[in-house]
Amino acid sequence: MSSKWFLRRLFSSIAVLAAVLVLNFLLFRVMPGDAVSTIIDPSFSPEAKELLRELYGLDKPLKEQFFIYIKQMLTFKFGLSFLSRRPVWEELLSRLPSTLILMSLSMFFSSVLGIWLGIKAALNRGKKLEKLVLRLGAITASFPGFFVQLVLLMLLARTFPLFPLRGSLSVPPPTEATAIVIDYIWHMALPVISLTLMGFGGWALYVRNLMVRVLGEDYVLMARARGLSEKRVVYGHSFRTILPPILTILLMSVPGLVSGAVITESVFSLYGIGTFLLEAVSGHDYPSAGAAFYLLALITIISNLFADIIYGLADPRVRIEGKNQ
Amino acid sequence: MMALLKRKSIISFIIIALVGAFLPFFLEGHPSDSVGAPFARPIFWNLKLPASTYFDITENKLEFEWKKFPPAIFSLAGKIEAEPDKTVVISWNTPQKSYVLAELTGQEFYWINMDGRDMIFKQALDLPLIGKSVDHLFPEKGKYSITVEGATFSELKLSLPGKRQGLLGTDQRGRDVFRLLIYGIRTSLLVGISATIIATVLGLGFGLLAGYSGGLIDSLIMRTVDILLSIPTLPILMVLAGIWGKGLWQLVLILSIFSWMGTARSVRSLILTVRESAWVEGLKALGAKKSYILRRHLISETAPILLANIALGVPGAILSEASLAFLGLSDPRLISWGRMLHEAHSFGAFTEGAWWLLLPPGIGIVILCLIFMDIGRYLEELIDPRLGSDKNV
Repeated sequence: MSSKWFLRRLFSSIAVLAAVLVLNFLLFRVMPGDAVSTIIDPSFSPEAKELLRELYGLDKPLKEQFFIYIKQMLTFKFGLSFLSRRPVWEELLSRLPSTLILMSLSMFFSSVLGIWLGIKAALNRGKKLEKLVLRLGAITASFPGFFVQLVLLMLLARTFPLFPLRGSLSVPPPTEATAIVIDYIWHMALPVISLTLMGFGGWALYVRNLMVRVLGEDYVLMARARGLSEKRVVYGHSFRTILPPILTILLMSVPGLVSGAVITESVFSLYGIGTFLLEAVSGHDYPSAGAAFYLLALITIISNLFADIIYGLADPRVRIEGKNQ
Repeated sequence: MMALLKRKSIISFIIIALVGAFLPFFLEGHPSDSVGAPFARPIFWNLKLPASTYFDITENKLEFEWKKFPPAIFSLAGKIEAEPDKTVVISWNTPQKSYVLAELTGQEFYWINMDGRDMIFKQALDLPLIGKSVDHLFPEKGKYSITVEGATFSELKLSLPGKRQGLLGTDQRGRDVFRLLIYGIRTSLLVGISATIIATVLGLGFGLLAGYSGGLIDSLIMRTVDILLSIPTLPILMVLAGIWGKGLWQLVLILSIFSWMGTARSVRSLILTVRESAWVEGLKALGAKKSYILRRHLISETAPILLANIALGVPGAILSEASLAFLGLSDPRLISWGRMLHEAHSFGAFTEGAWWLLLPPGIGIVILCLIFMDIGRYLEELIDPRLGSDKNV
C-alpha cells in the first residue's frame, strides 16, 4: 500500500481527533452557564466549593486546564464520576464490549444481507424479486429506527414474550459461563436484528445501483464471452470492481452507526456507552459525559481509519501506486 | 402552481399543517390536563370495556343500570347541607351488597371528596387494601344506586372514568393522547422546518464563501465540513442539549448547527462550476463587482437546489428532534411526538401493553418524513427533469 496515501489518511484522522478534543473541551467549559456553576451546588459552603474547584482543576487558568485536559484524554484518565464516585474509565471499559458487539454485529449482518440482496436484485432486473428488494429498501430506510425498535419490543417482548424487555443480562444473572453467554446472546438478539432490519435496505439499494451499472460494462461481456461461470463473472469480476465504492459507503456510515447504537442501547436498556452517556447528560455528570462522548468519537475515528486501510488494500489504484514508488 | 397541488404529498402537508396550526384552538382545555383514568384505551377499542360516565346526584338519590365491566376509578365529590343534629348517611347499593360510604354528623355543610383508590377509603369500607376497590364496588351487571339520607340539600357528582376514553386513549397521567398528538404536529413542523431553514442559510453562506473565495478559506471550510461529517452527531446533540438547555429554540439552534454541512458541499460544487462559466466571465469583463455577481446571480442560481435541499433536510431534523426528545433530553412541558414516545417507553406503556401510546406519535413521525421526502424528490425532478426518467437505472 502506498505509504504516502496511508500517511495522508492517518493525518486526517489525527485532525478529526484534534477537532473532537477541542470541541469536547469547549463544550463543557466555554458554554453559557460555566462548568463551575453547573458542577458545584450553590448550597455548598465556600470552602467546599474551593475544594471541589481544586479537585477538578477548575481554579487554574483556561490554558493550563486545556493542557491538563489533553493529557487526561490521551492517557484515558478521566477522573471520578459525579454520580457513581467510581473512576469513569473503569465504568466505560466495562460497558465498551456491549457497544462494540452491537455495532459490529449489526454492521456485519446488515451489510452482508444488503449486499447479497442488492446483487440478487441486479441479476434479476425487471423481475418481481428486484421490485420487492427496491420497495423493502425504500421502506426500511425511511423509518425512524427507534420507533421500529419500540414496535418490535412491544410485539416480540410484550405481546409474544420471545425476547427480554430490557437489559444486557437477566436479573439475577445466571452463574454458569455457558448460561451467561446464552443469556447475553438472547438479550442482544433483538437489538441486533432490529438494527439489521433497518440497515440492510440502504445497502441493497446502493449495491444494486452499482451492480447494474457494472454488469453493463464491456469487460463483463468479455468475461461472459470467455465462457466463465456466472459465479465468477458476478463475484470475481463485477463485485470485485464495486468493492471500493462499497467500502467508501461503509466508511461514511460509521458515524450514523454510532448514533444508532446510542439510541438502540437506550431503547433496550443495554449496558453500553450510549446509556452511560445518556445517564451522565441527564444527571449533569460532566466528567462522565465528556469522557463518553470522547470515547464514542474515538471509536468512530478508529473504525474510519480501519475502513481506510481496507480501502487501500481493495483499490488497485492505491495499491499499485505504492509499488511503483 | 396548479401542478404543485396535484402532488399528493403537498396536499397532505398542507392539510397536516392546517390541522396542527388551527385544531388546537377548537380543542377544549390544555393538553396537559388529566381527563380520565391512566392508560384508558381508545374509545372504539373493545366496546365491552366501560367508557367514562359522570352522574349528577340530585334529590339525594341516583339509580342507574350498569352493564359493563367495572370502571377504572370510582370517585364522588360535592357538597351536602344538613341540620347539625341529624346524621347524614351516604350509601352505595350494589346488587349484592350495600356499602356505607360515609356517616356524617355535627355540621351544617359537608364537603365530600372520595376516591376509590385511597387507602382510607378502602379501610373505611372494609375492602382489601391491595387490589382495586372498583372490583368490589361493581361486582356484577345490574341495578346500582346511591342514596343520601338525612340531608336537606345535596349536590354530588359521581365520576366513573372508564377504561376507554377519547379518540386515542389516555397516557400514564390520564392525558388525552389525541390532543397530545395534535399539539405535537406544531413542535415537529416548527422544529423541523426552522432548523432546516437556518441550516440551509448557514450552508449557503459557507458554501458561497468557500466556492467563491477559494484558497485558504475554501480549504478551511471544507476541512471543517469533513471533520463535522465524520463525528457522530447524536452524542454531540445529546451533550449540547444537556448543557445548553432543552427549550424549543435551543433545540432548533443545536440541530441547525450540526446539519449545514451537506448544503455547504453542494452549494460549493455548484458555485465552482458556475464560476468558470462564460456568462460570469462576461459579467467580470463588463466590470461587475464580485459582491454584485455573488448577490445578483450566484445566489439565484443556487435557489432551486436550496429549495429541494430544505424539503429533503426536514425529515432529518424532525428525526433528530424526535430522537433527542425520545431520550428525554427535551423540555418536559414541550409536547412533542418524541416526548410522547419517551414517556411511553419509560412510564409503563410496555407493561400495560399500551400500543395506543406508541403507534400514533411514531406513525405521525413516519408520515411527516415521507411527505417531506416526496416533496423534496418532486422539487428535484422539477429542477432536473433527467432524474424523473432516470429512476430505474
